[in-house]
Amino acid sequence: MSESTTGASGPVTGAAGTVFDIGYQSYEGPRHGRARGRMAVFKDGVRIALGLGRGSRAKVLPWGFIALLVGIGFIMALVVGAVMRLGGPDAAASLPTHSDFYGISSIFFFVFAAVVAPELLCPDRRDGVVNLYLVRPLTGSDYIIARWFAFLAVSLGAAWLPQFVLMIGMVMGNPDPAEYLLTHWTDVPKILAAGAAIAAYTTTLAMLVAGFTNRRAYAAVFLVGLFVITTPFTTGLASEIGGTAGQWISMFNVTNIPVHVNDLIFGEVSDITSGAPAGELPGWLLTVWYLAWVIVPGTILWSRYRRLTP
Amino acid sequence: MEPLVSATNLAKHYKDVVALNGVSFGIFDGITGILGENGAGKSTAIKIFLGLLKPTSGSAIVFGENASESISVRAKLGYMPEHDCLPSSVSAAEFLTHMAEVSGLPPSRARTRAADTLRHAGLFEERYRAIGGYSTGMKQRVKLAQALVHDPQMIFLDEPTAGLDPAGREDMLDLVRKTHREFGISILFSSHLMADVERTCDRIIVLQGGELVQAGEVSHFTSETESVFLEVDSNHEQLIAELEQRGIVVQADRGGLNIEGAEASVYDHVRDALVASGAPLRRMAPQRRALAELFAREGDEDMSGGSR
Repeated sequence: MSESTTGASGPVTGAAGTVFDIGYQSYEGPRHGRARGRMAVFKDGVRIALGLGRGSRAKVLPWGFIALLVGIGFIMALVVGAVMRLGGPDAAASLPTHSDFYGISSIFFFVFAAVVAPELLCPDRRDGVVNLYLVRPLTGSDYIIARWFAFLAVSLGAAWLPQFVLMIGMVMGNPDPAEYLLTHWTDVPKILAAGAAIAAYTTTLAMLVAGFTNRRAYAAVFLVGLFVITTPFTTGLASEIGGTAGQWISMFNVTNIPVHVNDLIFGEVSDITSGAPAGELPGWLLTVWYLAWVIVPGTILWSRYRRLTP
Repeated sequence: MEPLVSATNLAKHYKDVVALNGVSFGIFDGITGILGENGAGKSTAIKIFLGLLKPTSGSAIVFGENASESISVRAKLGYMPEHDCLPSSVSAAEFLTHMAEVSGLPPSRARTRAADTLRHAGLFEERYRAIGGYSTGMKQRVKLAQALVHDPQMIFLDEPTAGLDPAGREDMLDLVRKTHREFGISILFSSHLMADVERTCDRIIVLQGGELVQAGEVSHFTSETESVFLEVDSNHEQLIAELEQRGIVVQADRGGLNIEGAEASVYDHVRDALVASGAPLRRMAPQRRALAELFAREGDEDMSGGSR
């Protein structure tokens, strides 16, 4: 590489001290290659999703939704905790708890993903920044996988945090917190698994739609429409037709797909899926259906970005 | 001298469109201009060298590695695209730090490199402002800085003066020259403006319709076109007749005469023709033609007209 030069070298003396222009310095430090590049894209994705290092307007939506989700968990915790304190643990048995949380809050997750996930992909393509990534030691696959994991990490945080707020509320509300923890410790892996299921689902669908448009608004409107419109449409059609056909139509209720998996994980049916004909189908079928909705869109997204580099 | 980058029978076809048609050339240390009209294949060649496109046939070798197969070689390269490539909502310092990290630099080193590079690009004072508020000239500097931030061995500049006013263009060309002469980084400079290439580059590669037209040292092309410019006060026609009698090729040019060749015998003939015609000499000077004249075709305003 080039030698260091001292273009306009020499001391410039003044009353306050001496300033040296040492000229251009070549970089002689470590270079970590693709792994560092992937990590940088991942970190940048997390920062974009949370609006960090950006103006206050960029923080409003992500933090607003996270606050809303945590707020739901907090209110549930307050109610359950208060009922436990006043009426004892049995009095709170019929109240919504961990297994119901993702059913109650799923629509907010979808809207959160719809408005925030496009931020990670659309501006890079619209502004042409993606070309600057791809001329560095990074492939299209590296880029999209790092971005996918970045939004997944934020979504996991948004999914798990309210559940742990709820758990703290239930532990604190119980007259015997230690006993409650001992008997309910299995809720922790269930919360982690159910949160991961909904986060992976919303992340993949939102990133797929964002991968096909340069406009964040188009992606957000399409996704909100998809999540909001399919629910009444499929619910109405499924109940009208009924039978096996109704069950299959009910499976296309995109809001319910991860909630059915949540129900399987907790072994309880949520309020939101209790009336859904698809819930009567075998668990393995609902799981395969869920996996198809994650793997197929994920593969389409990956192949779209993989083609950006030879 | 081994080329840093070389193309061997390099071809790229997009269905029926031939962007590059089996061109072969080498790019050596220094500033190399790749010149051609829009659609000549300049950007395609650059994108193949950067690994963004796979050639239809032939090979593109960059620092001894196949450009479309080696990912690690890209750490040695920098790229300044022609079109917009900057996010508007982040500061130049943050953007360059991120780009340095993507190139494999540790975060603390990336921050230092970003600040240093922005200082060299003349944006040190403005580095914490959002890029969206920058002028076109400042954005071009950020584009160049991001290409340099990881200290590559070679950078590819695709039309770096596009959209700049004359002063901004001059500043950018100065920065490009400084990048090689002070920073020691080799440059491939793509342009359709002959004047920019002539003033900045050591070597040129001329593409036209995907074919290689010329390649070599800029000084070689300009020395080939040396001529003598002659102005007389009167007896203009007699002087032309006397010169033509002596086998000298003469062209009227800007009120004077332009005589092909600058060897000693031409000066002898000019001296004799001046004496024979009795034309009073006002001015005689050797002249080097511009590259634009060498490649200019009739009616072609595009390649030579940038500085006018």
